[in-house]
Amino acid sequence: MTRTAKIFAGLVLFVVLVLTGIMFAAYGRANAPEQPIKFSHKVHAGDFGIACEYCHSYARRSTVAGVPSVARCMGCHKVTALDKPEVKKLADYWNRKEPIPWVKVFDQPDFVYFSHQPHIAKGIACQSCHGAVEQMEKVREAVVVNMARCVNCHMEKKASIDCWTCHK
Amino acid sequence: MEINRRDFLKVLGATGASALAGCASEAPERLIPYLIPPEEVIPGQALWYASTCRECPAGCGVLVKVREGRAIKVEGNPEHPVNRGKLCARGQASPQGLYNPDRVRQPLRRDASGKLQPISWDDAEKFLAESLDAVRGRGLARQIALVTPLLTGSLDRLIADWLKALGSQRHLRYEPFAYEPLRAASKICFDRDTVPSYRLGESKLILSFGADFLESWISPVEFAREFSKSRSPRDGEMGRFIYVGPRYSLTAANADEWVSVRPGTELFLALGMIHVIVEQGLAASAPQDLTAEIRTLVRAHDPKAVAARTGVAAEKIVRLARDFAAQKPAVALGGGIASSGSNAQATAVAIHLLDYLTGNMGRTVRFDTASSLGQLSSYGDLVSLVQSMARGEIQALFLHNVNPLFTLPQSVGFAQAMKKVPLVVSFSSFMDETAADAHLVLPDHTPLESWGDYSPREGVIGLMQPAMRPLFDTKGLGDLLISVAKKMEGEMAKRFPWASFYDYLRDQWKEIQRRFDPQKEFKDFWDEALQRGGVWKESRTEAVRLNGRAISSLRSQIQEANLTGDGDKPFYLSLYPSLSHFDGRGANRPWLQELPDPMTSIVWGNWLELHAETAKRLQLRDGDVVSVASPYGKIELPARLSETIRPDVVAIPIGQGHSNFGRFGSAVGANPIHLLSAGADPQSGALPWLSVKVMLAKTGRRQPLVSVAGSENQQGREIAQAISLAELREGEKTEEEEVKQIYAPHEHPKHRWGMAIDLNACTGCNACVVACYAENNLPVVGKEQVAKGREMSWIQIQRYVDEGRENPQSAIRNPKFIFLPMLCQQCDAAPCESVCPIYATYHTPDGLNAQVYNRCVGVRYCANNCPYKVRRFNWFEYDWPEPLNSQLNPDVTVRSVGIMEKCTFCVQRIREVENRAKAEGRKIKDGEIVPACAQTCPTEAIVFGDLKEPESRVAKLSHDPRRYRVLEHLNTQPAVTYLKKVKNG
Repeated sequence: MTRTAKIFAGLVLFVVLVLTGIMFAAYGRANAPEQPIKFSHKVHAGDFGIACEYCHSYARRSTVAGVPSVARCMGCHKVTALDKPEVKKLADYWNRKEPIPWVKVFDQPDFVYFSHQPHIAKGIACQSCHGAVEQMEKVREAVVVNMARCVNCHMEKKASIDCWTCHK
Repeated sequence: MEINRRDFLKVLGATGASALAGCASEAPERLIPYLIPPEEVIPGQALWYASTCRECPAGCGVLVKVREGRAIKVEGNPEHPVNRGKLCARGQASPQGLYNPDRVRQPLRRDASGKLQPISWDDAEKFLAESLDAVRGRGLARQIALVTPLLTGSLDRLIADWLKALGSQRHLRYEPFAYEPLRAASKICFDRDTVPSYRLGESKLILSFGADFLESWISPVEFAREFSKSRSPRDGEMGRFIYVGPRYSLTAANADEWVSVRPGTELFLALGMIHVIVEQGLAASAPQDLTAEIRTLVRAHDPKAVAARTGVAAEKIVRLARDFAAQKPAVALGGGIASSGSNAQATAVAIHLLDYLTGNMGRTVRFDTASSLGQLSSYGDLVSLVQSMARGEIQALFLHNVNPLFTLPQSVGFAQAMKKVPLVVSFSSFMDETAADAHLVLPDHTPLESWGDYSPREGVIGLMQPAMRPLFDTKGLGDLLISVAKKMEGEMAKRFPWASFYDYLRDQWKEIQRRFDPQKEFKDFWDEALQRGGVWKESRTEAVRLNGRAISSLRSQIQEANLTGDGDKPFYLSLYPSLSHFDGRGANRPWLQELPDPMTSIVWGNWLELHAETAKRLQLRDGDVVSVASPYGKIELPARLSETIRPDVVAIPIGQGHSNFGRFGSAVGANPIHLLSAGADPQSGALPWLSVKVMLAKTGRRQPLVSVAGSENQQGREIAQAISLAELREGEKTEEEEVKQIYAPHEHPKHRWGMAIDLNACTGCNACVVACYAENNLPVVGKEQVAKGREMSWIQIQRYVDEGRENPQSAIRNPKFIFLPMLCQQCDAAPCESVCPIYATYHTPDGLNAQVYNRCVGVRYCANNCPYKVRRFNWFEYDWPEPLNSQLNPDVTVRSVGIMEKCTFCVQRIREVENRAKAEGRKIKDGEIVPACAQTCPTEAIVFGDLKEPESRVAKLSHDPRRYRVLEHLNTQPAVTYLKKVKNG
């Protein structure tokens, strides 16, 4: 391989990688932050088939789905999987009477008003906005919930696309 | 192509770096779960806690809206008999007390160097307990005094028990406005040492002798509701309202007639009226023996003699008396702060007599529900405490939420007397003038964080419960007293076995249960009372009989108010409580500082009001700084020229001029109380507010007053309209203008939200304005920015002169003002929408002019094109100094710099109800959506609803005979309909 070809190939690879990097960053696909506890949605929601709303219990009643209380976790983990290191971390939080500082993966800007309640009431699957979380060891922003996505779906479902449905 | 491993890693490294650089974003947000979720909390939904407002002694019931553990708004409790769901501007601003950045955050003790230093509660209590033990050890327990504002119920009882256990009885319930003359008069006339309750709603004629009952007098929210009940036109009839006083106050501006009287001669006007009533046989009820005595009493006060004294024409006096006697029932009110001179008690007796003679006593003036104001200490009591302090006869002084250094005239000498007290403890939540001079500052919770109870009158007991956990390291006074007692020697600990004030409160309520509902289990009674906000029951009417000695006592006291003042032609000084700041306690709330005074539109400061003619004589212009000097003090204030004050009177609102009241309250305006003499009225023990004459001098400096007013002159544009009662009776109706449209009209498939504002009900009280600030995260921009026209209020009370009502004969104009709440009119053909280049403002399907903040780029064309001037632009990134930001409503976007904003009809409330109705599968009920302004309006002047629903209140009102729209000829087709003010005479 000539030196020029080498440089050219390197440059192409560089550009491609940079672009992908930017795209990942921009669209948040890279957004899979480290969490204080390596909680696996795959194990809980996938393997054991625990319903999303068992833990995110406010979704059908309120704007937010709710992150489960430490007590909710301990409800099971007082008796199950006590030997696992991550469950031990959980127990430590519980014993210290400290909430777990989870890192937010799905976030909307402050000028967006979104309520889970009407979406759940309409039977929209959690996965349509959050991706197949039940297959993820570590949750990432697999679906990017931006305005285009909201509006497309609203148009499809003949829901209101008036600005003040979501902005106020 | 071959890339070796090394090259690959190099490239990868560079990519990673650039990718990272590209997304250098803010720190990730955290999701903090509950450890154990409280059962009743659903994140994202509000919880409401019933409590009691403690911003003034009226004791309105409130519901505190709590989101995620933070109190974000306070609204009236609809079930509460005092305020029925409504609140005034000061009540609406109470969260800014809770979240005030200048709160005292932990206990402080003065160290050797004289500085206040943080200490722990335990140390503070130990120190206090030891100090008190030492005082008791020296046998000086009687020299312990505790001063609080008006307290009733449990805390009051605990304080009494605590002091008694110590060996003292000096608990003073001190309010600067304590209505001593009115209370003394009630005692003299009817043996009731209290303030009567007034039924304004049933009155066909309200005659107020300087009582500003729509602003600060006794219970303004309740009176405003009652007032509008009396004033709403029904079957061609409505109540009349006549105001007597030297200054045209906000309350006077709501009257049909202003009787300008020489200050301090109201007594004679009342006597003159009694003269006419007795001589012309108009008295409704008076025992024969007394009538003769009354006749003798008022013999000398015939209309002519009274006219000479008061400056009110004799014919007018006769007319007033005849009208007053003819209207049944009517009500005469007296005892206003601004008109309380040295003869205030005699004036109040004469007014009671007037009500008694015309049969109003027992009907519109009642003594069956004793007001708790009767429990107040008098000003005189406080002065004697100060004298004891000065003599070194007070060993320990406890001050709870009172600020005597600000509210007492300097000539009382509180500051010097305080230095003689070895231990001064302040329980103030804020560092104010008095707390700053204390030895120990032990901050109390604010009312929204406290347990407690308060009874404004017999039969109504409001409960207070904490709406959230205390923000800072503060301690409730009740808890503190109990825990100090536990740290003391001897019997004290045993006498206060309760673990906390909460336990004490519940014990006290067991007693209340026995009175109110003895059948019920205590737990149920308590839970219900907590939910409702207290307990109340109907009261029975009790007849009162006039004491014969009232007449003889009055006879000996007939004299003009005694005013002191030197110099050539001094001016009467009329002081009155400010609508926004009351006695000064509201001055550290930024919302109230930026709230335009409804009569002058001035913000951030106070002023000296004087007649334009006087000003001309003294060569003063508006905004010239004037030195105001009385024999007791001197202050400087900018002049505000006015034509609605007597030329021989100058007036100053009380409440500003703090030297030490946090970042918002300090160094704003001047404190006029320091111009007063210290002497208490020997009869009632009151501070005579009308007691000095002042000299004015030009200083040569200017300090232009910052106001949001444009012009009070309508320039013939018919912005604020009125109709006479006669015209209304004749069925006069405004023609509804035909809708002209070039473009196809907007379709409103489901709803069209609209509003109706009754100008006849609006009193200009400003409650809606503060409610809007609280609900919609409106920033406070400060005096400098307001001066540039950059205030952010979405709703504003504009004051216009009703055109053609001026009386050219008199130097004192007697105009009829019309207060007009101006907000976005949500036009159907909105001029703002068509000029927005980027579709940031547009028409929603339910008829709102939406502003989409994330689209807005701030070209401001829309504001320029708005004929109502209701759009507001964010010139800066405004901030909410911590913890004021905790009050922000999470359902409303906090706007950033460069964004246009305006009233949204509280779209977040509309959507909330829409979503709820949808979830429940039902239609929205009329009246279910209530914007914040309408919610708090004490007179229910604002009605909101769906214009497409023909049966809705708002749809009906939009076709009312009094309907009109502001600038209707512009064809903007507003969704806001105004109802004309009705002129009665």
